[in-house]
Amino acid sequence: MQLVVNIAVLASIYALISCGYVLIYRVSRVLSLAHGELMMLGAYGLVTTASLFAAQPGVAVAAAGLLAAATGALVYWVLMRRMTGEAVLAAVLATIALGILLRGAMVLIWSAQVQHPARMLGFDNPVVALPGGARLSTISLLLVGMNALVYLALWWFLTRTRYGIAMRAAGQNPRLAAQRGINLHAVYALAWGIAVFTGGLTGILIACDAGLDATMATIGLKAFPAALVGGLDSLVGALCGAVIVATAEVLLIHYVDPLLSDVVPFLVLTAMLIVRPWGLFGSREELDRV
Amino acid sequence: MTRHALKPLVGATLAAISLCSGGFASAQDAYLIGVSGAMTGSAAATYAPVVESMRAYIDHINSKGGINGRQVKLVISDNQGEASKAAADAKKLLTQDKVLMLVNASLSSTYAPMVAEAKRANVPVFYAGAVCPKETYPPADPLQFCSTAFGAQYDSQMALATVKEMAKEPVRIGFSAMAIPLSRGEIDYAEGLSKTMGMTPVDKQIVPPPTPDYTPFATKLKDANPNWVYSWAPWVTQVRTLESLRRLGWNGRYIAYAHLNAEDELARLKDNEFYVFGTNAFFQDNLPIQAELRAVMHRAKLNYPITQLSEGYIAGLVLEAALKGAGWPTTAAKVQASMSNLKVDTKGLRGGPIEWTRDNHFRTKQHYRVYKWDTSKGAITRVKDWTAVEVK
Repeated sequence: MQLVVNIAVLASIYALISCGYVLIYRVSRVLSLAHGELMMLGAYGLVTTASLFAAQPGVAVAAAGLLAAATGALVYWVLMRRMTGEAVLAAVLATIALGILLRGAMVLIWSAQVQHPARMLGFDNPVVALPGGARLSTISLLLVGMNALVYLALWWFLTRTRYGIAMRAAGQNPRLAAQRGINLHAVYALAWGIAVFTGGLTGILIACDAGLDATMATIGLKAFPAALVGGLDSLVGALCGAVIVATAEVLLIHYVDPLLSDVVPFLVLTAMLIVRPWGLFGSREELDRV
Repeated sequence: MTRHALKPLVGATLAAISLCSGGFASAQDAYLIGVSGAMTGSAAATYAPVVESMRAYIDHINSKGGINGRQVKLVISDNQGEASKAAADAKKLLTQDKVLMLVNASLSSTYAPMVAEAKRANVPVFYAGAVCPKETYPPADPLQFCSTAFGAQYDSQMALATVKEMAKEPVRIGFSAMAIPLSRGEIDYAEGLSKTMGMTPVDKQIVPPPTPDYTPFATKLKDANPNWVYSWAPWVTQVRTLESLRRLGWNGRYIAYAHLNAEDELARLKDNEFYVFGTNAFFQDNLPIQAELRAVMHRAKLNYPITQLSEGYIAGLVLEAALKGAGWPTTAAKVQASMSNLKVDTKGLRGGPIEWTRDNHFRTKQHYRVYKWDTSKGAITRVKDWTAVEVK
């Protein structure tokens, strides 16, 4: 039972991060390699809001979430908008540069010290005992729940709301969408905002559970294979990819060798690229664009 | 561009040249020390406080007139924990700045390129806050010196001796390391040593950095049912493994190295069965040197907890003693000679002096203390006072 819980927690982390990669790629065709850094920025946002609203944890978390969403929209508006019409590689390189810039800036602003935002908010993260003898922290449980909520909310948003449908249209055929009166820049900014919000949320939850330091950005990169395994343009794929990668990782740690955990996501990815290069739920057409 | 427009440019260039030559002139009148540290990057939490507090101490010395009547200038470069950047730093510091000594405060992966450059220039390398390489142990490499608190092999000998002393029952010991060469090597050594000491090693978890969730590793460790777990790794791995084990309901005893943040972290975790051993005195001692350190760091307005600044301060003390012994005017060879016969009083920040000889550039004796959080007292307590280990 504990192994199942471990898989669920790790899969939730990967899935929450991956949905950001997928959203941005699906809507604007940009592979954001700054997603790990933006996730970390969301967590550092909580450090700041926690110091401002220490007595009101709900306000601090909500403010950090809003800051993350605003940052995403701002990144699009200030940087990525200027990449419109440029080669895909130029946009990807811009996100790499952004990631490097953010990593340096975060150390300068918040120092390299390990931060514990949950402690700043007075939350001591008690252990929850589950049937079957499994145990996990309250924040890990919250992470699993939040993952389900985010994916449900995204499904509802993309299929039931005007902006969601506009977002899908912009992703499918931007020229036609623009001709139908959809403001592409607004839609892209919204996609970036949502993606960075979900990434920031993951960063906030990981930081509250285990602490926050400068290595968090690399965790964002570890989730990237999950998005590719599922298919870079599919949210369902991101979810399935996360479960596959997390299952392989946890089982290999337990039954084979813990050192394999670092290479497992990439082994799964390599296997998938050989068998089905466009991913489990990705569309074949997208592969050519990648 | 007109001739008129060129005038300010020429003026600015001449001014810059004049400033630079002035700078060179003053540099020649000062002790120039090159520092390459992981000031940013994933390892910055460990190394940046060391460099910052060393700089603060040197500034303090300079404000009192310097060493042998000369100012000390630290030329600090950020290598981000990357070997290629450390190599470039070393080359620049040695060929352009012509420093008398290189200081390394970074990951062990940066050592080889820096040492290679230093050997070409015959300039000593001083590891400050960076783990001491074997080349500083007897018989030491003539150019490599180390003041860092922790020392491979001696640390595990101390940790396992403590476990043996404290255990009333047969010891079933688990191990935790980070997947970096140094940590893995030390835990492999400890695993072998534990067998010779009559303990039963039950599991060893090597955790790759960074890991989003330590629970899968801790689950396997817990399933092996150890009554002790020993970890010698960067703090993040040590403490997150412990936290995950506790969440899984493991109630055994955990021993780990007391890194710079140990004092703050013991108070955060409040775990009665978490033991840390180390060679730096905790600030709960309230020693006069710690009060002085506080004042120096306060003046420097450093953005780090005071508990994390003693390592850099000690490096500053060592640097001061080495330069004092080298006299003025000096050369890299004189600095090296001074370092090869050095005794630095750490004034209580460590359990004894740092003593370097011709063959031993680590220290002749390593002093350890063991601390833990005592729930009944609501404070950190000393489980074991300074215990000296001979370094041969």
